[in-house]
Amino acid sequence: MSRMTALELPDDAIRIIDHTADWALRVRAGDLPELFRRAAVGMARLLAGDLAAVPLDETRTLAVAADDAEGLLVEWLGELAYWAERDGFVAPQVEWEAFLPTSLAATVRGGRPAELQKHIKAVTYHDLAIRPIGDGLEATIVFDV
Amino acid sequence: MNQSDFKRISPYLYEIPRSYRGDMRAPARFYADAELLQQALGDKSLDQLVNSATLPGIVAYALAMPDIHQGYGFPIGGVVATETPDGVISPGGVGYDINCGVRLLGTRLSREDVAPYLDDLATQLQRNCPHGVGRGGAFTLNRKEMAEVVREGARWALKHGYATEMDLERTEENGRIAGADPDKIGPRAYERAADQLGTLGAGNHFIEVDVVDEVFDETAAAAMGLFPGQIVAQIHCGSRGFGHQVCTDYVARFQKVVHKYGITLPDRELVCAPLNSPEGQDYLAAMKGAANFAFCNRQLLTHLIRRSFDETLRGKVANAAVYQVYDIAHNMAKIEEHEVDGRRMSVCVHRKGATRAFGPGSPVLPAVYRDIGQPVLVPGSMGTASWVLVGTEGSMAQSFGSTCHGAGRMMSRSRAKREVQGGELRRELESRGIRVRAGSLAGLAEEAPEAYKDVDRVIEVVHGAGIARKVARLVPVAVVKG
Repeated sequence: MSRMTALELPDDAIRIIDHTADWALRVRAGDLPELFRRAAVGMARLLAGDLAAVPLDETRTLAVAADDAEGLLVEWLGELAYWAERDGFVAPQVEWEAFLPTSLAATVRGGRPAELQKHIKAVTYHDLAIRPIGDGLEATIVFDV
Repeated sequence: MNQSDFKRISPYLYEIPRSYRGDMRAPARFYADAELLQQALGDKSLDQLVNSATLPGIVAYALAMPDIHQGYGFPIGGVVATETPDGVISPGGVGYDINCGVRLLGTRLSREDVAPYLDDLATQLQRNCPHGVGRGGAFTLNRKEMAEVVREGARWALKHGYATEMDLERTEENGRIAGADPDKIGPRAYERAADQLGTLGAGNHFIEVDVVDEVFDETAAAAMGLFPGQIVAQIHCGSRGFGHQVCTDYVARFQKVVHKYGITLPDRELVCAPLNSPEGQDYLAAMKGAANFAFCNRQLLTHLIRRSFDETLRGKVANAAVYQVYDIAHNMAKIEEHEVDGRRMSVCVHRKGATRAFGPGSPVLPAVYRDIGQPVLVPGSMGTASWVLVGTEGSMAQSFGSTCHGAGRMMSRSRAKREVQGGELRRELESRGIRVRAGSLAGLAEEAPEAYKDVDRVIEVVHGAGIARKVARLVPVAVVKG
């Protein structure tokens, strides 16, 4: 069974940020699709602890839409959080079928790790803004856990 | 924000005036002593309190309890009352874990009665009560049965032999809030929680066996059947994935309509709609359904706890029966009547990480507690004390009948994991005679006592401010964590 190998990402691409009661991820990327992909990878790390624990034996598709890019980010991660809770399914690999700032369609690959390390109740809008930084974008996402 | 932004208006109450920020519609008040105020300035919780004071239709002031800490949208420990029917209702002001709450169960047993069997009891509780990330339970329901739970709450458990009339009588709202509508809840909530009834979940949820360490109010303690040295049990959990999905769905739906109502907010997680709007009414009916799910969930866990006591102690002690003391919610919005500036009015009280604490004489209290006030259950951090309080005339006059809900975090989960070793923590707790049964050592570390404020200090503030009164202090002897 194939499993995720180490990702080659810059050190500051995905960072867990201190939050008193919950978990927050700060994600940086050159463009919006990559920001969304890294957010999914970061969430998979929170859920599984170690991406090597996630078997890559299942492929799923999804499509979501929202009124703006921040809303789309919440909807996107919300779908993945829903699968994690309902089925124990974690998806660290993402391929875009279509990507616009207010809608996306993706094929994701992942599986069910033996144990989930975190229970994510919800992806929140708290202080959520996709901000330009240098030559890329940054977003901090707060998860209710 | 710093200490100079606060005006101390009584020994345990600070106020941030409306002039602090142009978008505030009311002042913000915070129950604290100097040290708790200083601690709260360490995160964004007080900024979140100010944000909550911008909600349209807010009445009097936004309030924060001494166990305040940073949340999302509202702070945890926040109370906001809005006018009805024109004020707003905010799903984020209730939170994702709708009707997260605490149940206290009593026994006729003393610490000495149970001491020889405590290890077995802890193990049996762990075995019988599903807990931890992704664990389903024994009560898998189809959609029709789930809709019944939504409408009936803990009464569903009574119908199926998992509750007594006394349990329901001693539950806030008698374990069933009227007006819940299963059709206002989307299909995902039903799918997500299909096997979650009767499960504890993870995070800060727990089942704990405690000893009554000290009684402060003998009359109130006697009404609740509490006595020094007594073995009691607590459950802390909520509506599981069902409530999480209800909140998620309505936060998303409200994002699409908030502008239609001309509402501008400093944080999108505060998203809201007028209470009398179709969206506001739908959310209220769905939230009540999720609250009923939570009441039923704690009731089914009660059944499993009773079974655990019976299986462990039957034939070894004189009476292994477990009876209900009380069950309260601390994440909820309720339509209530309060007196504001001498005028009786109907308001929607959002309590997010705050407990209803109605004073003596309230007609909504069960007859057995009407003379003493609403029992308030305040769990401490793992390994520290928990408290039983009662609501007072002061809470009715000052805080929309509300008080604190716990110790309140002050250290982030990631820092707690860095600084605390789960295995060491378990050994340390066990060396103090506390049996620990944990789903994960990392999860245990996140909930280390060092990550929380001093619950005794929090209690001194609410007692001193008169928004609750001490009844009894509990200390843990066994903990089951998700």
